[in-house]
Amino acid sequence: MANLTEIQQTIAKNDCLNDSNTSFNNTKNNNKSDKDFVEREAREQREGGGEQDMAPIGGNPIHRSSSRPQLDVSGAAIQGNFEERDPTILLPNQSDDISHLALDIGGSLIKLVYFSRHEDRPVNDRIKKTIKERLGISNGNRRSYPVLGGRLHFVKFETNKINQCLDFISSKQLHCGGMDAHLWHSGVSNENAVIKATGGGAYKYADLFKERLGVSIEKEDEMNCLVAGANFLLKAIRHEAFTHMEGHKAFVQIDQNDLFPYLLVNVGSGVSIIKVDGDGKFQRVSGTNVGGGTYWGLGKLLTKCNSFDELLELSQRGDNRTIDMLVGDIYGGMDYSKIGLSASTIASSFGKAISDNKDLEDYRSEDISLSLLRMISYNIGQISYLNALRFGLKRIFFGGFFIRGHAYTMDTISFAVQFWSKGTSQAMFLRHEGFLGALGAFMSYEKHGLDDLMVHQLVERFPMGAPYIGGNVHGPPLGDLNEKISWMEKFILKGTEITAPVPMAPPGTTGLGGFEVPSSRGGILRPDASKLNVGVLHLVPTLEVFPLLADPKMYEPNTIDLSDPGELEYWFTVLSGHLPDLVDKAVASEGGTDDAKRRGDAFARAFSAHLARLMEEPAAYGKLGLANLLELREECLREFHFFDAYRSIKQRENEASLAVLPDLLMEIDSMDEETRLLKLVEGVLAANIFDWGSRACVDLYHKGTIIEIYRMSRNKMQRPWRVDNFDAFKERMLGFGDKKPYQHKRALLFVDNSGADIILGMLPLARELLRRGTEVVLVANSLPALNDVTAMELPDIVAEAAKHCDILRRAAEAGGLLVDAMINIQDGSIDSSSSVPLMVVENGCGSPCIDLRQVSSELAAAAKEADLVILEGMGRSLHTNFNAKFRCDALKLAMVKNQRLAEKLIKGSIYDCVCRFEPAS
Amino acid sequence: MDRNGVTEGELEGRGMNKCVEQVSHLALDIGGSLIKMVYFCGENSGSEHQQGILSSKESCGLSNGNTNCSVLRGKLHFRKFETSKINECLEFMSSKQFHRNGEDCHGASVSEKNIIKATGGGAFKFADLFKEKLGMTLDKVDEMNSLVAGANFLLKAASLEAYTYMDGQKEYVQIDQNDLYPYLLVNIGSGVSMIKVDGDGKFERVSGTSVGGGTFWGLGKLLTKCKSFDELLGLSYSGNNRVIDMLVGDIYGGMDYSKIGLSSTAIASSFGKAVSEDKDLEEYKPEDVARSLLRMISNNIGQIAYLNALRFGLKRIFFGGFFIRGHAYTMDTISVGVNFCCCNAARSSIVREVFIVSHECTSCRSSHYCFS
Repeated sequence: MANLTEIQQTIAKNDCLNDSNTSFNNTKNNNKSDKDFVEREAREQREGGGEQDMAPIGGNPIHRSSSRPQLDVSGAAIQGNFEERDPTILLPNQSDDISHLALDIGGSLIKLVYFSRHEDRPVNDRIKKTIKERLGISNGNRRSYPVLGGRLHFVKFETNKINQCLDFISSKQLHCGGMDAHLWHSGVSNENAVIKATGGGAYKYADLFKERLGVSIEKEDEMNCLVAGANFLLKAIRHEAFTHMEGHKAFVQIDQNDLFPYLLVNVGSGVSIIKVDGDGKFQRVSGTNVGGGTYWGLGKLLTKCNSFDELLELSQRGDNRTIDMLVGDIYGGMDYSKIGLSASTIASSFGKAISDNKDLEDYRSEDISLSLLRMISYNIGQISYLNALRFGLKRIFFGGFFIRGHAYTMDTISFAVQFWSKGTSQAMFLRHEGFLGALGAFMSYEKHGLDDLMVHQLVERFPMGAPYIGGNVHGPPLGDLNEKISWMEKFILKGTEITAPVPMAPPGTTGLGGFEVPSSRGGILRPDASKLNVGVLHLVPTLEVFPLLADPKMYEPNTIDLSDPGELEYWFTVLSGHLPDLVDKAVASEGGTDDAKRRGDAFARAFSAHLARLMEEPAAYGKLGLANLLELREECLREFHFFDAYRSIKQRENEASLAVLPDLLMEIDSMDEETRLLKLVEGVLAANIFDWGSRACVDLYHKGTIIEIYRMSRNKMQRPWRVDNFDAFKERMLGFGDKKPYQHKRALLFVDNSGADIILGMLPLARELLRRGTEVVLVANSLPALNDVTAMELPDIVAEAAKHCDILRRAAEAGGLLVDAMINIQDGSIDSSSSVPLMVVENGCGSPCIDLRQVSSELAAAAKEADLVILEGMGRSLHTNFNAKFRCDALKLAMVKNQRLAEKLIKGSIYDCVCRFEPAS
Repeated sequence: MDRNGVTEGELEGRGMNKCVEQVSHLALDIGGSLIKMVYFCGENSGSEHQQGILSSKESCGLSNGNTNCSVLRGKLHFRKFETSKINECLEFMSSKQFHRNGEDCHGASVSEKNIIKATGGGAFKFADLFKEKLGMTLDKVDEMNSLVAGANFLLKAASLEAYTYMDGQKEYVQIDQNDLYPYLLVNIGSGVSMIKVDGDGKFERVSGTSVGGGTFWGLGKLLTKCKSFDELLGLSYSGNNRVIDMLVGDIYGGMDYSKIGLSSTAIASSFGKAVSEDKDLEEYKPEDVARSLLRMISNNIGQIAYLNALRFGLKRIFFGGFFIRGHAYTMDTISVGVNFCCCNAARSSIVREVFIVSHECTSCRSSHYCFS
């Protein structure tokens, strides 16, 4: 449906056409004349379209920004018959620039950055609209320019295999605006289309692009692009910069306001050293002709290696002492300590070759490669530092293809900078280093509005089952899910461990031939150690920083730092252990068909491969926390089109819980206020036991019905809990001594699981708050994760619960949640004004955890008037945010369903409870 | 041995027979690649003279800047050996009876006279060898001290010691002795040391690089199968670096990248062209390889030296060391390299003068004059 929504999108701008979307939706499957068109369509059905089919088609132009910014849709008109499915839209004023794709054609590599639109999950837009109105959000005032959500992809090809690159572009239709955009151009020739490109090859291959793809290349200045790319990365991407010393990688948080000036060293064939003073303000201050080209060129002559990577790989096993003359060689093994030279310092690169009576053939290629690498890296580090010194610059960032995440190269450069600066200066590297130029060229399109992106709007994801992991194209461009699965099936299974593949594409074949395990993986200095470093950047313009965080700059979502190998291994084991069960659930949720089984298998392989990869290099995508790992699992499921593995389980539990809700509410209403509050909090903690994310709880499920477990669980709630601030919370709510009860204006309830957790736990608590005159906003996931309740499911649950409870009903009506259910009495508006509203907003994420730096704009808007935050469940209040501080009252409620976490976090044991209340600071 | 420039060493060699008896006062600089030897040979045999040179007054006089050393009558001889062929050096010394002449000529005790001044890493490494073969003890003189003392001496004592190279023209200059300091001394041996010199005995090694003469020779040997350093240098003279180096013009389709001041003939990436061409090492002419290598290394040294001079605000850079060794084209190349950097950064007016010190073994001399 990608293309359909595309139309909606473009049309949405023209208000007069706004209502016609539905007619497109309904006019499916009409005949088509253009054969080519049909085929393309079919492919999309399988790929993009299939994804949309899984979820209800909402056709939700409100949530998305109102137009594709690079398109001038004025005068848009539908060509041909309106009844036709996917009619072609003529955009007469469309500029010929294609802002989806930019290239950096270097001497050795072609780097591609392209943007793909990604359809947001459809949400019941009518409810949403009501809530938005209620919260005072209008589309107009959020941003001054429209930016569309989507993904930035990073891909690279070898320049001498430029045809692969052209095939890739062609198969993805990138030269005419991406697959989802072909409609604009079908029937319209893109003769005048222009692609921005940088790099020396932009001139050289211009004719080839014209001939093969019919597009013109517009050359962008190289330095401009480099600087624009680096500025963008350093400003917009968290954990972009890192240091690398002695094999240890540490991410550096750069304060955006204190970024300039810095020195940018781009190590390509040669080296450019650029002083950057601001956006578009820079000067090439120096450079050296001893760069990546020298390494590769000399290395090729000396070792007969066929590729740069092969040469790097060789260096891993090299010993430079056989060729380099060390200080110790001159001084008979002694240091020249007087001037600070140790015996192992290289006195003269290749100096030993002088005295040895050996020919080139007598030296190991490995040693030669390492000597060469050290000589060049060290030299680059030194010259860069001297230039930084000259201009008094604190920071030196190294980028360019020569570095390509190679641990030894980075170590050597770092060492040189450290050595010459006597430790006062550190070399920093960029994770997207190879893509500076391409990104910069991409930024040079004027109209995409990416320039002002903020960190919180970009979510970096693991490149999931994609053929171009880490920017390397592995295999052919995958046209559809089926090809993706086939590709995943090629992953190598080595014992229990799945090794990420290093596909060997025999020249001239499809690349699906076979895969080989890398021959060398010794120690920490693997040449491919960082190949997966480049994730896909998801651009979600609606994401914002949660406004109630006490100190957004200091905020760290993850409670457990997975850079601790012990922790990583534990969670790796936990997630691996869960996997078979999850695959069963996922396959069952799709009807257990052969297709589902095949997808399930592919998912398991892909997920295992990613886990294995992260075990090897935890920092591959930036700092790794448990939240990222859990999110990875959900993303991976979605990638293989399992959109809600727990759908039926959730439904079943919801029904079972709703059945007992009236009794529970009656029981609660019979208590006095103080007892009631305690029982409600107890209830939340008890109900939180229903968590499919916890192994222990999954076992519980086999032992009894939901209500039995809930009762048992609640009866065991013996205070004091392991973390028990209930009294403080109670005093705040009900007053104590001189202190008056505090009535909160609005409470945000971050809910966790479906079933008993939400219905028997959180809803009754919400009801109590409503009764006290506090507005309640239920904050739920945008996308399914495990059995977590989603923002899409909540309105139905609330509507169902409201049938048994006036308080909930009136509040839900006031909050616009019952628009569907009450559609016939909408005009009456009854007494909605007499109740404070109960609302539902999505949190912007699809993970069991939540990173409050990136929440939906709805949540951010809802938070503005909130003075109470309640985080419920392990994922949101323990794994993440356990240490988060808020500007308002905060209550964190969870039952710990993991022994290790219980020991580590609260020095307790499994099934202990946390009731942490932190008054506004 | 050397077609391209007659070094002092050769001249001395011819005169050697005459003055074999008068040879005295030997000093050694045993580097990673080369052993540099300096010895004094009196014109008229006479122990007074020789004792004169030994006296501390003498060396004081020199370091005070007296350029006319009237007391001295004789010649300083310079000779070099490859460190890997240290036996040749030992044999030479043995044949010239250096190790005994002190005994013959002077009345001093054997133990005292069997001590020779030596510097360089090899002074440590080969100390036992000298003791064993020649019965000599090496008195290790600090390398940097020696270098600086030697350079200071040469710049003060030898007229027209330094020259500049501008627009293809070599111009010898007389350095104003009163305005000598501070300067940057770049000693290009196997590796490169960069020393900031503030006065006699006042200096600091501020930088250096491992990409030096040893790299040129070592890599060159592997790439061209040349048998000697001089052969390699000779090759480089007739080579064309454009064959292998990637020039700015190669990337920009023959155009300059004038925006950042790079001409189309500037080297963008040394050996970069070898990347894209499907050629084996054998398919490149050794001359071209040697030329590219020489340009790469001398440009690099020039650049690092320049950046260090900038850093300390030094007006003058002096280049010396065996890598330069009096070969016109080596000197030219390094001058071009340095001037390229300096001209490129002409807006910075700090480094005004770049000099090449024409004697190749400054440290060796200095060790001689560090006797006291």
